[in-house]
Amino acid sequence: MDIKDIKSLIKMVTETDITEFELESAEEKIRIKRGIVPEIVHYQAPQSVMAVPQAVPQMAPVAAAAPVSASAAPAAEKGEPITSPIVGTFYRAPAPDAPPYVEVGQVVEKGQVLCIVEAMKLMNEIEAEYRCKILKICKENAQPVEFGDTLFLVERL
Amino acid sequence: MKEPIVQTAEDGTKDLDRKILELFRAKQGGTVSGEELSSALAVSRTAVWKHIKSLKELGYQIKAVPSQGYRLLASPDLLIPAEITAGLGTERIGARRLICFRETESTNDVAFKLAEEGAPEGTVVVAESQRRGKGRLGRHWESPPGVNLYCSIILRPPILPQKASQLTFLSAVAVARAVAATTSLQPAIKWPNDVLVEGRKVAGLLNEMSAETEKVNFVVLGVGININMEQTQFPADLRHPASSLAIEAGGTISRIGVTRAFLKALDALYDDYLAHGYEPVRTEWLDRSNMVGRKVRVSFHDSEVSGEVMGIDDDGALLLKLPNGRSERVLAGDVTLL
Repeated sequence: MDIKDIKSLIKMVTETDITEFELESAEEKIRIKRGIVPEIVHYQAPQSVMAVPQAVPQMAPVAAAAPVSASAAPAAEKGEPITSPIVGTFYRAPAPDAPPYVEVGQVVEKGQVLCIVEAMKLMNEIEAEYRCKILKICKENAQPVEFGDTLFLVERL
Repeated sequence: MKEPIVQTAEDGTKDLDRKILELFRAKQGGTVSGEELSSALAVSRTAVWKHIKSLKELGYQIKAVPSQGYRLLASPDLLIPAEITAGLGTERIGARRLICFRETESTNDVAFKLAEEGAPEGTVVVAESQRRGKGRLGRHWESPPGVNLYCSIILRPPILPQKASQLTFLSAVAVARAVAATTSLQPAIKWPNDVLVEGRKVAGLLNEMSAETEKVNFVVLGVGININMEQTQFPADLRHPASSLAIEAGGTISRIGVTRAFLKALDALYDDYLAHGYEPVRTEWLDRSNMVGRKVRVSFHDSEVSGEVMGIDDDGALLLKLPNGRSERVLAGDVTLL
């Protein structure tokens, strides 16, 4: 297994709710474990742990580059996560007295605005990258969010 | 016609307006003959007459002197490309596309839509008034006609979305530079991007981003500067004390002058940012903010914290020293100077 394979493996794992993953074959063994990002505000290395016996010693930097959701949902929860691209404040509606952009159960089209994440007065409208159904809204309105936090769990349609 | 466009700088015929105004100004109030105009502009005298007529409709007082030519008596302080682009000399900002509306809903909305349609970096949208001027979180930005600057700029920086909030600080520095360059006032920036004069807010900035996980598609910088607004034009229910440059300076300020100075400052700062990163912006922000060493209170959604300002870091976070000696890194909140 080369670096590229491992990269895509990490990507695959981080896109799910799996917190620990192990793969063993005749000549190698790979374990991916996802920890919780501590209470910091930088966008830096998540606390992923990757243990691979000798075979691929240059592993560590690859693991460090993989984004990890800080609020990884419990494994039982279904759906694909939509994560925050920036550190900021999560807003469900364009204005305090306006109705939320989306509700649980709603089907949204590709390109539809799901929420706003504000960082330093920079408003970032998060759009659906594909047609999907909102299964869960993972953050409260006006709550701070970290880079990579899961904002929504959705079902791709 | 819902949103009458006054002029756009792309429209070649409008360059003639600028050249006509330049010829008038070169004469310093003297008469310019129709023949001079038509040969300098390489158009017919009928075309010259048409342009003179359209300038008069915009509010320029131009007198036709029989058998001599035209004389410019007075200019309105009008935000049109012919005026804004005269001697602008910017690299990016307003260099390729500048669109001026007499009235629009919101310059940010127009710019956002243009950016989605592929408008180039540096595109500037200006309006004489906004029907639905936007503040943060659906708040209203008071936008009466003819007195202020309402302006939005499209940027396409090759940076990660996490870094885009640095542009908030860049745009605040650009406004402060413009105010300092065109008035005798001493603007001060309040974290993160309010521009104050004597503790009163004279400008508001609202930046909006379209981004993917690892790529910024574009950022729209929205800027409102209260230039010649009068006290009676401010709404009564403002959250923070507000003022205009004219109120603070005690006299009318050239809107064209402030606009040009702002676009130039933004152009220079952005150029520096692309070449040298955030550090020059951060340094100038600290110089132009009145905050380092000051005691402040920061209000959050449901709590607050007080402390002494130590500075800002690479992400723009406000660094506070708390009374208990610990430090606190503030990413969001409403700051009050104590």
